[in-house]
Amino acid sequence: MNTPTPYGIWLVTRQEFRIRLRTGRWRWLLGGWVALLAIFTALLDLSVQTGYGFANDNARRGVPLFGILMLFVLGMVLVISPALTSQTINGDRERGTLATLQVTKLTPLEIALGKLLAGWGVGLVALALTLPFAGYAMANGGITIGRVAAVYGVVAILIGVVCAVSQALSALLARSITSALLSYLTVAALTIGTLISFALIAPLITEPHTQRDPDGYVYTYTVMRQDRVWWLLAPNPFVVVADAAPQVPPQITQRGDVVYVDDYDPLSMIGRGVRDLRRPPDYQYSSYTEQDRGEPVWPIGLAFNVLLGVGAVAVTAARLRTPSRRLSRGVRIA
Amino acid sequence: MASENGQESAEFGVVVHDVWRHFGSVPALSGVSISAPYGQVTALVGPNGAGKTTLLLILASLLRPDRGEVRVAGADPVADPFGVRSQMGWMPDSFGVYDQLTVYEYLGFFADAYRMKRASVPSRVAELLTLIHLSEFAYQPVHVLSRGQKQRLALARALIHRPRVLLLDEPASGLDPRSRVELRDILRGLAAEGAAVLVSSHILTELEEIADRVVLVDRGRTAGEHTMNELAAQARTAYRVRATDPAVLASALQSRGVQATGGNGTGTELPPMSEDEAADLLAGLVGGGVRVVAFEPLGSNLESVYMAMTEERR
Ligand SMILES: Nc1ncnc2c1ncn2[C@@H]1O[C@H](COP(=O)(O)OP(=O)(O)OP(=O)(O)O)[C@@H](O)[C@H]1O
Ligand SMILES: [Mg+2]
Repeated sequence: MNTPTPYGIWLVTRQEFRIRLRTGRWRWLLGGWVALLAIFTALLDLSVQTGYGFANDNARRGVPLFGILMLFVLGMVLVISPALTSQTINGDRERGTLATLQVTKLTPLEIALGKLLAGWGVGLVALALTLPFAGYAMANGGITIGRVAAVYGVVAILIGVVCAVSQALSALLARSITSALLSYLTVAALTIGTLISFALIAPLITEPHTQRDPDGYVYTYTVMRQDRVWWLLAPNPFVVVADAAPQVPPQITQRGDVVYVDDYDPLSMIGRGVRDLRRPPDYQYSSYTEQDRGEPVWPIGLAFNVLLGVGAVAVTAARLRTPSRRLSRGVRIA
Repeated sequence: MASENGQESAEFGVVVHDVWRHFGSVPALSGVSISAPYGQVTALVGPNGAGKTTLLLILASLLRPDRGEVRVAGADPVADPFGVRSQMGWMPDSFGVYDQLTVYEYLGFFADAYRMKRASVPSRVAELLTLIHLSEFAYQPVHVLSRGQKQRLALARALIHRPRVLLLDEPASGLDPRSRVELRDILRGLAAEGAAVLVSSHILTELEEIADRVVLVDRGRTAGEHTMNELAAQARTAYRVRATDPAVLASALQSRGVQATGGNGTGTELPPMSEDEAADLLAGLVGGGVRVVAFEPLGSNLESVYMAMTEERR
């Protein structure tokens, strides 16, 4: 068995890149992508200033700008990524170019990784094009380089995961339409599916809770134990990205008895939300001003996604291994 | 058998013994056995669905046989596919090319994929482009090539790493007459240099000119394995004879008990006979004073063997 080498991977990646660059209307697509980002950022900037009343807090206006922009970017790349690899294997098979690749000395893992890196690379180019807009948000204050790096790092990894899963589906399924469809369903499962399953399952996990009044009156009521099912939300890409970003403390204002907690930042809000789900029902919040951030959720979510991606690459390589015993229904090798 | 007999695997580029393969409930190969010696062109002939493509896929290390023994260039494609691939070139019957690449880039990529020394690639690509007469297309994108030109490019791709065993699945389909003659010369040249060439085709007359040996397969089994010389000696083909005076010819044939099967202006058709019988008849006719101007076999030996093999199917 030949061992995979970086050179072999690079050969496949270079080849795929060359073909992609010469087929698609990349200039138009990327131009459209940048234009979309520009319009989104401009409108967001205006609405944050006027509609959401941040005009008076210019020192931190970058925080909501960056947060909302990143959620938008994440949503968009999750839509783009499946398209980058969901036809790489079965599309090549349909075009009759896969078998000629398989009879060379390239190993299955080299082919799998080489093709994945080409698709992922395109996704990373799309992500890199959003950097100027993140820079604009930074210029509006309140954002550190570390925060930008954390968010971009996690988004970059998630693009790779979605590409890897889509590619595995294209290796498993004979028809490229089916694999593209299933790739989008996978993304939907990670994003909406995790939310739905949490929303449906959390209310089922309840238990009676007994509380004693100061005057000795004891009463019992039912509480939800989200702290047992919070992990259902962990694989959600939005949760992973939001929670991985260092939290920005909320703005606390007290008027008389009422404490106002203003979250400037959608990322921190999501992060705090999922971390709070990990706490037991009788958890005593001492005070909102306290720097009590709770147990992070993102390492588990990121680990899950990375494992998913690694598993997907292994599946792809296994499906590319020849001589093959089984062929998908209706597939002729050549 | 190959594994037990080193002598045999040294002589034969391809050895297949009792190989079986099915797809779902469809049997594609049911105990086929063939061999292809180095230095010779072996033709693989059989009706549609006989299992030729399946067999070549197994030899090309792409498909796993259910059972049976396979050696390509002395290596087992299942246990050591990479050992096979470095020595084996494969040209599929239907294939795609990377349309966006230039012809030069296309061959260069495969040279790299076969891990050829980088320094040797440009000269090897140039050499192959000359061989297949595509030098003037070197920097054209592959999609401008015609079907036959793509076919030639695929042949060059299969040859790029100087394989000792060459597997070709219907390489002549789509080629113009000149390209076919050139393909024949290329394959003969490779065999002369010592390669084992296994080629499947339906164009029997052409195979007769290319091949040294022929393996007939039918319904996944070997139906016969012959050298071309043997075939010529064994096969019984129809003949056509023409003489200056048809009446004299007719009476001479009648007196020898040969029943003419038909005839027209170009001559009288005679029933199938072996080469020996034909030679005897011709000598007899000429000796009997018939002025024979033409005496020729009708169709090819291979064709008649093939027809005899497929006869009982109908
Ligand atoms: N991937 C596949 N799935 C199902 N059946 C297959 C597959 N490949 C081949 N077969 C079947 O195996 C048998 C042999 O097919 P094969 O392509 O090897 O024939 P062939 O001799 O190459 O025919 P032809 O002369 O038409 O090219 C046929 O019955 C075919 O239907
Ligand atoms: Mg065939």
